[in-house]
Amino acid sequence: MIVVDELTKKYGSTTAVERLSFTVAPGRVTGFLGPNGSGKSTTMRCMIGLDRSSSGSARFDGRAYRDLARPLTEVGALLDAGNAHSGRSARNHLRWIATSNGFSARRVDEVLEMVGLQQVAKKRVGQFSLGMKQRLGIAAVMLGDPQVVILDEPANGLDPEGIRWIREVLRNLANQGRSVLVSSHLLAEMAMIADDLVVIGRGRLVDQCTVTEFIDRHATKWVTVRSPQLDRLTDLVRNAGHRVESSGDAADIHGVEAAAVGELAAANGIVLHQLAPQTGSLEDAFLRVTADSVEYHGGTEAGR
Amino acid sequence: MIATIRSEWLKLRTVRSNLVMIAVALLIPIAIVLLTASFIDFTGVSDTTIAELLVGSGTSSVMVLGVIGVLAVTQEYSQGTIRITLAATPNRLRVYAAKVMVVALLAAIVAAVVIGICRLAGVAILEGRGFVGELGYDGEAEVYGALVVMAMVVAMLGCAAGTLTRNPPGAISALLLWPLVVENIVGGVLGVLIDGWKQDWMPFQTGLSALSVSVHDLEFGRWGSIGYFSLWVGVLSVVALRLLGRRDA
Repeated sequence: MIVVDELTKKYGSTTAVERLSFTVAPGRVTGFLGPNGSGKSTTMRCMIGLDRSSSGSARFDGRAYRDLARPLTEVGALLDAGNAHSGRSARNHLRWIATSNGFSARRVDEVLEMVGLQQVAKKRVGQFSLGMKQRLGIAAVMLGDPQVVILDEPANGLDPEGIRWIREVLRNLANQGRSVLVSSHLLAEMAMIADDLVVIGRGRLVDQCTVTEFIDRHATKWVTVRSPQLDRLTDLVRNAGHRVESSGDAADIHGVEAAAVGELAAANGIVLHQLAPQTGSLEDAFLRVTADSVEYHGGTEAGR
Repeated sequence: MIATIRSEWLKLRTVRSNLVMIAVALLIPIAIVLLTASFIDFTGVSDTTIAELLVGSGTSSVMVLGVIGVLAVTQEYSQGTIRITLAATPNRLRVYAAKVMVVALLAAIVAAVVIGICRLAGVAILEGRGFVGELGYDGEAEVYGALVVMAMVVAMLGCAAGTLTRNPPGAISALLLWPLVVENIVGGVLGVLIDGWKQDWMPFQTGLSALSVSVHDLEFGRWGSIGYFSLWVGVLSVVALRLLGRRDA
């Protein structure tokens, strides 16, 4: 269990993380979301003592990271897959990490096999693709078989097969009862992987809940209708003050419950072929909830 | 602590550029001695001068070992591994101490090997060329001991410089320019400003001067000079350690 309590990190007059509190439960994958520059990586670095927090704390089963005698046996963190000497072999990279916490060379070989890098163990890290470096980073995380796993953008640079692999890894880790905190910009992927979400914007907590709750709370909702008398129905809905987007024989009605649309149609003798409540994606919910927190917005010209 | 030391040693010896630097620290003085012993015209040259040539090239090794100290630290920052190091061992004092111990021990071994090879090979070559003078002298072991100690202290200085700057070119420049340029300029300025100023108060140059066979001219003597230089390195190490403890990784 990770408990982050009122964590604050200031750089001079700039506050990167402000009184951030959240928990990461065992047996669950918790997605850590926020726009670029929202403080996700800073929070993760503060959690494991790489950056000094200005105030507040992060505790792992009740203990601060600096108080863990052999931290890698309790917390495995991958903050940047590029953090490996390009001139050192993958095996030697893992060996020095393993040695620092008293793990055997056999354990190094085990984790190399676990991530599928045993064939390239003697190859220098500088010759690795980003995907291979991500796998090497996961191997380092797993050296101590930790109960807490923290990963910053682990799917970065991975091909579809690699993304599926990381998804399975995260799911297996959670199924084994570990607390998994993972940040990612791949929101569709996060919707598939995560059980819970911690969403931050400008260093502050925006929401913490399950993925389903988050989408339910923040995503756009609308009702899709199909009807042979669509024009009449959409006129009635517009007159009732609701926004309608028509396309062919269907229309999306915003700001109203499906039941109300059904009742309106029935009261006016309109036949309905489809009446389907719709909910936006995690991406839609995320973009809505963090709209005010995004530092840099793309122009419409650039988006075309 | 033992695990951290072993880890630091593994880190040092598993990077090719470090091995190249160790080889350079070994080969430069050995090559100088072998060439000197092979080609020097020793007629009319005093035995002490010949003896000094056999150990004098070890000074170049000392500076290269300082660079190894720099690299042991700055590689961690340039390659990003400092974050893994400090996550694996959150006690930063322990990390720094382990790094310094590994680098200093390596420096001592390299210096000892350099001395041994230079002495044995130098004497063998000279004798083979018909040199009949006396190459041993009073305090010879002390000169060799000073070289080993200075190698360790300069390697520690390299670690401190690396930690202070976190930047390989910056730290290496500082390490090399301090004795070669900075102390000459600072000493020259202070010599004008302060009556009775002695250039021996410049720590790095004094430490290196303590490696000569004859140290009669040194203000603090051989071990006093090395101790004085070590004091400066100790202060810089404490500042470096405090910065390492306070800075974000």
